[in-house]
Amino acid sequence: MTDCSLLTCGVEDERTFEMDDYADAMPRWCPGCGDHAVLTAVERVLEKEQLRPEQTVFVSGIGCSSRFPHYLDTYGFHGLHGRALPLATGVKLSRPDLNVFVVMGDGDCTSIGAGHWLHALRYNMRMVVLMLDNEVYGLTKKQTSPTTPLGFPTNTQPRGSYLPPLNPISVMLGMTNASFIAQTADWVPAHLFETIEAAFHHDGFAFIRVLQRCPVFSANIFERAVKSPDLTELLVDDQGINVTNLGGLYKNLLRHDPSDLDRARWLAEPSDKIRLGLFYQNQAHPKYEETRKVKHHTPAEKIALLNTELDRYAV
Amino acid sequence: MNKVIVGNHAVSWGVKLARTEVISAYPITPQTQIVEELSDMCARGALNARFIKVESEHSAMAACIGASAAGVRTFTATSSQGLALMHELLHWAGLGRHPIVMANVNRAMGPGWNIWTDQNDSLSQRDTGWIQLYCETNQEVLDTTIQAFKLAEAVNIPVMIILDAFFLSHTSEPVDIPDQVTVDRFLAQRETSIKLDVADPHAFNALVRPDAYMEMRKDQQDWMRRAKTVYAEIETEWKALFGREYGKIEPYRTDDAELILVTSGTVTSTTRHVVDQMRERGTRVGLVKIKMFRPFPTDDIRRALSGAIKVAVLDRNISPGRSGIFAEEIRSALYNIPMDDRPKIFGYIVGLGGRDVTPAVIEDIVEQTQIATQPTREDLWVGVKP
Ligand SMILES: Cc1ncc(C[n+]2csc(CCOP(=O)(O)OP(=O)(O)O)c2C)c(N)n1
Ligand code: SF4
Repeated sequence: MTDCSLLTCGVEDERTFEMDDYADAMPRWCPGCGDHAVLTAVERVLEKEQLRPEQTVFVSGIGCSSRFPHYLDTYGFHGLHGRALPLATGVKLSRPDLNVFVVMGDGDCTSIGAGHWLHALRYNMRMVVLMLDNEVYGLTKKQTSPTTPLGFPTNTQPRGSYLPPLNPISVMLGMTNASFIAQTADWVPAHLFETIEAAFHHDGFAFIRVLQRCPVFSANIFERAVKSPDLTELLVDDQGINVTNLGGLYKNLLRHDPSDLDRARWLAEPSDKIRLGLFYQNQAHPKYEETRKVKHHTPAEKIALLNTELDRYAV
Repeated sequence: MNKVIVGNHAVSWGVKLARTEVISAYPITPQTQIVEELSDMCARGALNARFIKVESEHSAMAACIGASAAGVRTFTATSSQGLALMHELLHWAGLGRHPIVMANVNRAMGPGWNIWTDQNDSLSQRDTGWIQLYCETNQEVLDTTIQAFKLAEAVNIPVMIILDAFFLSHTSEPVDIPDQVTVDRFLAQRETSIKLDVADPHAFNALVRPDAYMEMRKDQQDWMRRAKTVYAEIETEWKALFGREYGKIEPYRTDDAELILVTSGTVTSTTRHVVDQMRERGTRVGLVKIKMFRPFPTDDIRRALSGAIKVAVLDRNISPGRSGIFAEEIRSALYNIPMDDRPKIFGYIVGLGGRDVTPAVIEDIVEQTQIATQPTREDLWVGVKP
């Protein structure tokens, strides 16, 4: 039970929401696509936080992953390829009261939208940003993305990708005002849920890279990691993301204080293990919606300001 | 060699036979197959080109401009949103006089997201200084792709080859693929004296002040006009080698026609069929297909249309606030001909966002035009639900 903040009309909002209340169109992703798991985790977070659909907006770009807003009964904005973040910036700046979520693919975010991506980190506006990283362009049917592993063949680089992949985590850890950077995987649902939950509570720009299986175009990329939890290392800390009920499957736990930027950078470097958890968090950075907030004036203050202005002109 | 191929692969074959040296592109439906096939040809060694994978269409055109400035033959392909994103660089290629060839698969602009055919993407780029050639069949797509390089390099103007989404891009048709030796006779390796050359250094794209900018523009315009003649010569040469020609425009059964339909792209084939059927019933109807939209073949259009009583233009595009774009161009082309020869122009808006333009739609247009003495408005919308 919460007050209706939208209208501050004093009427009590008696509604409670179940997971199903957030569901909309039937997802059209392929069977086994990791995006399904992300949608479920997001719906769980929405339910847990009892977010009102009309106070919540999902903004996306273009790609399989960007179909997200269609499947949620909240506000949605299916945007242009690469432009989800500036669109969300506009939404948040004019309606800071809304819960803003952004969903992008790896191509959307790190390729055509790469410029916006870095600047959005620097703006540090409060929003939850999910990059569903299947390490390939999915919707256009298997072309090399910046995060495609070296040597992985696609339809644009049939002999395999020529370059080592862009490492989104280390890129962001070098960016001014980076404030929440986490990594999780679609096949570890409890971790996925806790990560989105932590991002939602972060007071700033919370970026999550979700390693996402695409059984159609990049099936083998995460296969080993999915089958052998030993290849995964969970970053844990009292201040980080702690998941206890993983059925004892994930045994490699690494203590990491998420305020330690240098160590975060070191941990983000490629290793023989996939690291899931909160790499870095810093809530001290100013948020752009606060920096640019229009100050509220009382009527008396407004009159005083007007008089000062008018005094500048002699009649 | 005869092969049954989709329109997208007809482009790829043309690019291969033209011995293109640099290709740069970003995937977008329904174009992607063009560059995927080219990547494959490069990977197999069937085509000795560098394929530059970039992070957006804006970068793709920039890479093509860089490569073209270095003096090599360059190609890219895109569609819709991708073409729109290139806009700034389209001007740059046009005014920088880089003979780049690009295939654009006509696809509707969003929102709402739509991947089907519609000409608004390419027509929005009308004033960027590119030659625009609209194709009707997969054979024409292949032939035009090869011709486009020759044309672009002869006048130093970039050329856009345009094909309809799905109706051509993803539809298989038998195509006669010319042999490499004959194509090599038709199209030599690109030679240009204006290029980045360490032995003969020049700077490109310096500041041009008001005292020179207009001359630069005028030169572009003069060469644009010249492109019409050059294209006709190229077609003559092509015909001698391969036996096929298309024309800047193609009049079909227009002699003695009282009503002439004007089309571009694949709507033409359907209209041709309708014209044949109506002729059998004694209706004096003809067809003009427009292939070259920029430079606009004003004289050819005047010759083909003057004398008809009515002209019905089928526009798969709309200039919001005005009318169909081809209709608008034709109205202005005919304004200065003698009053008595000037037909009434009926501008129909059809098939936006990939809606089918069936024979029934075209027959309906013919009937409406026959009944009316005067168009009631500049844009006559066909088949719009209330
Ligand atoms: C300007 C522009 N260029 C290209 C496209 C075509 N396009 C749509 S989605 C996409 C890539 C999708 O890959 P990714 O962002 O990784 O998302 P996924 O589909 O894998 O979820 C591309 C190239 C477009 N819609 N707009
Ligand atoms: S193509 Fe891949 S990313 Fe797209 S819906 Fe299918 S499985 Fe998911």
